[in-house]
Amino acid sequence: MSAPFKPHWNLLARLSIAVLGGGAGGALLALWGYWHTPYGQRLQEEVAQPVLFDHRHHVVDDLVDCRYCHFNVERGASAGIPSTQMCLNCHSQIWNKSPKLEPIRKSYFTGIPIEWVRVHQVPDFAYFNHSIHVKKGVGCVTCHGRVDEMPAVTKVASLQMAWCLDCHRNPAPQLRPPEEITSMTWAPPEDAAARTALAAELMKKYDVHSRVSCTTCHR
Amino acid sequence: MPSMKSLPVIQDPATKALPGHRPLWQSVEEVARRRGEFAAGAAEAPPELSRRSFLQILGASAAFAGLTACQPPRDKIVPYVQEPKEDRPGKRLHYATALSFEGYATGLVVAAAEGRPVKVEGNPAHPASLGASSAFDQAALLDLYDPGRAKGLWRKGQALGFRTFLSEVQKLSAAHEADGGARLSFLLAPDASPLLAEFRRRLQLRFPRATFRFWAPIADDHAQEGARLAFGRKLDLHARLERARVILALDSDFLATPGDSLRLTREFASRRQPGEEMSRLYVAEPAMTLTGAVADHRFRVGPAEVSPFASAVAAELGLGKRSAPAGSPLARAAKAVAADLSRNRGRSLVLVGPRQPASVHALAHALNSALGNAGETVVYTKPVLGDAAPSSAAITDLARDVEAGRVDTLVVTAWNPVYAAPAATDLGALLARVPNAIYHSLREDETSKACSWRVAAAHPFESWGDARGRDGTVSIVQPLIAPLYESVSTVDFLAAFLDEGDKGGLRHLQETWRARTGLDPATFDREWQRWLRQGIVAGTAESPVAAALAVPPAELTALDPPARPEGLEIAFAPDYSVWDGRFANNAWLQELPDPVTKVTWDNAAYLSAETARRLGVSEGQVVTLAVKGGSLSAPVKVMPGHADDCVTLPLGYGRADGGAVSKGVGVNAYRLRTTPGAWRVAGAAVTPGKGKHRFAVPQGHFAMEGRPLALDFASHEWAHGEGGGELEHLRGTPPTAQVPVDYSKPDYKWGMAVDLSRCTGCSACLVACQEENNIPVVGAEQVAKGRIMQWIRIDRYYSGPAADPQTISQPVMCQHCETAPCEYVCPVNATVHSDEGLNEMVYNRCVGTRYCSNNCPYKVRRFNFLNYRPEVAPVETLLMNPDVTVRSRGVMEKCTYCVQRIERARIEARVAGKKIEGLQSACQQACPAEAIVFGNLNDSGSKVARLHDDARRYDLLHELGTRPRTAYLARIRNPNPDLA
Repeated sequence: MSAPFKPHWNLLARLSIAVLGGGAGGALLALWGYWHTPYGQRLQEEVAQPVLFDHRHHVVDDLVDCRYCHFNVERGASAGIPSTQMCLNCHSQIWNKSPKLEPIRKSYFTGIPIEWVRVHQVPDFAYFNHSIHVKKGVGCVTCHGRVDEMPAVTKVASLQMAWCLDCHRNPAPQLRPPEEITSMTWAPPEDAAARTALAAELMKKYDVHSRVSCTTCHR
Repeated sequence: MPSMKSLPVIQDPATKALPGHRPLWQSVEEVARRRGEFAAGAAEAPPELSRRSFLQILGASAAFAGLTACQPPRDKIVPYVQEPKEDRPGKRLHYATALSFEGYATGLVVAAAEGRPVKVEGNPAHPASLGASSAFDQAALLDLYDPGRAKGLWRKGQALGFRTFLSEVQKLSAAHEADGGARLSFLLAPDASPLLAEFRRRLQLRFPRATFRFWAPIADDHAQEGARLAFGRKLDLHARLERARVILALDSDFLATPGDSLRLTREFASRRQPGEEMSRLYVAEPAMTLTGAVADHRFRVGPAEVSPFASAVAAELGLGKRSAPAGSPLARAAKAVAADLSRNRGRSLVLVGPRQPASVHALAHALNSALGNAGETVVYTKPVLGDAAPSSAAITDLARDVEAGRVDTLVVTAWNPVYAAPAATDLGALLARVPNAIYHSLREDETSKACSWRVAAAHPFESWGDARGRDGTVSIVQPLIAPLYESVSTVDFLAAFLDEGDKGGLRHLQETWRARTGLDPATFDREWQRWLRQGIVAGTAESPVAAALAVPPAELTALDPPARPEGLEIAFAPDYSVWDGRFANNAWLQELPDPVTKVTWDNAAYLSAETARRLGVSEGQVVTLAVKGGSLSAPVKVMPGHADDCVTLPLGYGRADGGAVSKGVGVNAYRLRTTPGAWRVAGAAVTPGKGKHRFAVPQGHFAMEGRPLALDFASHEWAHGEGGGELEHLRGTPPTAQVPVDYSKPDYKWGMAVDLSRCTGCSACLVACQEENNIPVVGAEQVAKGRIMQWIRIDRYYSGPAADPQTISQPVMCQHCETAPCEYVCPVNATVHSDEGLNEMVYNRCVGTRYCSNNCPYKVRRFNFLNYRPEVAPVETLLMNPDVTVRSRGVMEKCTYCVQRIERARIEARVAGKKIEGLQSACQQACPAEAIVFGNLNDSGSKVARLHDDARRYDLLHELGTRPRTAYLARIRNPNPDLA
């Protein structure tokens, strides 16, 4: 009686094992890789918003401070998205006939709020608080990038936990003087010694406690 | 680090008795035979999960397979159109309001997050709250978001718009006005609201011949009648427990008095510290109550034997001649109690419960008067409810009127009369005969079915109104949210009969109060804002009146005691979870273990072991209880400490149409309450049945195996030990399995202290925790398997004889051990320590091995065996605390010391450049007894740090070297040496 399995079946069996095992590993590797691509992190992705709002114009041309619209950034967990009323604080006077502002006027007169699309999203189990970061010397640009150069706001930092921890473990280099918090162009001194001295001074001035306990963010 | 071998071995609990540690037991079964570590079925998969869960898992796998191909949809950010000036994203807004319970208000401060109420707290300025809140107050939030609430306005099955409703009521009222409202009748819930009183006055002017009746299933007719006997008029009695050194409670569960439980608990607890000023509590009662459980001496007497006992005490004090038969144990007790009372003239107090007849109440008034307590430990005021006090007779009077066809329109705001009225009245059929029976209720229930009109009531958190506390203090009830469903507030509902239903509660309220105060508009506006902000209208409390006995004490002591009933007596009791049934559809309260029996989702016929033996019935056996005019099948539960020859039946269960949650839960004790408002019924026959009922009792699920856990000392033992020597071996720094970390450096070292002398076991903390931390409800079946999720459990231990034990309650939550055994067994680092020594739980790391729970000696970890929120109605998501992650299936959770509160306080303090101050955990904030204290141990001036240094401090399972952050303070009892 001939053998039920021919020798070449061995190869088939080995190939199957390699494909199945390697496939599982490969899938995990692919997931891991995906998680590290800008696409996976949704970086530089321009999102269509209901109103063609241009930060470049408001920040650079009009010199509006971030905190005028994002009024809650020093007081609360959320920086605050301006209400329709806030847009109209200025736009009831200037460009009040502009067709681009039609959605704003519509919202104001109907009482139906504008639904902006969220660009910066941390997961629900991470409790980020703007006020404490701003009050401890972390500037807007550190996380949000050069908003003054963005026609539409895009995400520039991954907002992943490793990225948060990089700064939480070593906050000193990311600090800036209080008057420069909303500055888009401030840079630390070129000179390494001066940079270190400033960082140390700011650490002390702000009384920064770098916290890395889980419940700092996850509750 | 010491080697594992050198660690101390846990002593066998049976062989070594430690000071202050009596052999403790938790249930009758435990005394009979040791129970296993796990409840039966706890390790098995639930039977009901099969095809459906398989499909769920299949669906999840399919979704996962496609994960790489898509990205989650982006969220929307929806800002305001016009920013309200007080609200900011993420900010908590607090509103002072009040909740009425049995007509009496408790002042509350309710926190709203982004416009939705998410947490109920007590109002420190309110005399009935003092900052604390009860389990009922806390659970009101769940009622608000209950998707099963009544919705809309209906007449004969037809939906009415609010305007149509108003015009229809207007037509009805006009028709009734013709004959002065002779055929119009009101059955109202008791309420001390000045606005509603004003409405009634105006309604009476409009309909002079209409009848107004006030009714609630649980009324204290006897107390009112007793005051009338003693003082010749009705008076409210207010105990001042902070002044009382000796308290005699005669069938009185005063720690659960509606509308006053928080104040009384606070005052009682304030005198439970060892020392000269410590109070002594005697309780004579049939079934173990909250009050009986904290008594220094508890006399186990049937409801009918309380009166002879009271007479015997009076006789010993020289009032009356009805002394107990010489030589009986009660005679000895009466003698000792009387001697103690007379030693403390002006500092003693006799309290009587609503179950006792008016003669006993009158006798107590005579005793308090003779002991010089009036004006000292007890003060009297004019009745706060006034004419709005409930009367048990209301229901029979109404039934008679309806029977005689004298009612065309019946307006009902009283809670569910059809369910709670005696079965023989058949109120349901009678109401169906009334052409216009208009029922205003929060929920659709038995009464809704019988009434031709159903009007959904707005929740108190959705309506304007006013209310008065037990002491008369007025609070303005202000809404936090617009009505979630189409509903009408009580104010608008009653105003509709004055043709003013569309005026709005706020305008009614302001107009009435402007007229009452007579202030000019500007001053009134300022005052009004102050009332809203503070939650009370200052100076509105009733002032005490001098209450002199209207008759000589001899006459009161000679009042005929009720005849000793023949046969078995049934005593009814309000339930700690559902009260008279009105909270039956509230899942938090249903799952709240009864503070004494620890039964969840159920009631039972409670009786003593001796009575059970004599009747030939056993625990869980279903028996038929028959009295004249009614019978009921109920499961038996043996209650240690229950008096013989009587059965206690909690009211409020066995709902036929009470909503989805209450369906099929417990038995309806009202079926045996054949006279309205009766508290007792005699001559009951018990027929043992065949069925066996399994109770869902979480006590014993997380047993700590008889080690010295809940410690108590008699006051003389404690003084003898000169404070603390006994407990030295249960504190300090024992050898640990891990290298301990020094936490004295950071700014904060969070810790907790639980004072067992203060804790009454009332369980307010438990519901507060559930509300704060988004803890799910699991249902009776899962509770029976040991899967209850509440982060705090209140262990109730017995010591002493099984028939008449002593009780001690011990809240146990995560102890936040500095060297936590849970941490070193977690394979994925899901439970770790923070820099301040908190034992953190990281839900997203948890893979559900449950090793941590197995290794936790305190058994405080809770596992989500199932997804306990598979189908949450959209409205229920509004209930969730946005600061706390909602856990899913397969994740371990446990007390976090309210870390979300710590972090919020930290950020607020650091933004303001200050240190954290005034931080309270949710359980601490709710606790009326101030038994739970949370704070910073690194601040030597903090209360918690002082308590950690107290002589009574000990650590739970100290010998394991876990170094818990939660310390316990041993309970001190204050027994009378004469009764030793």
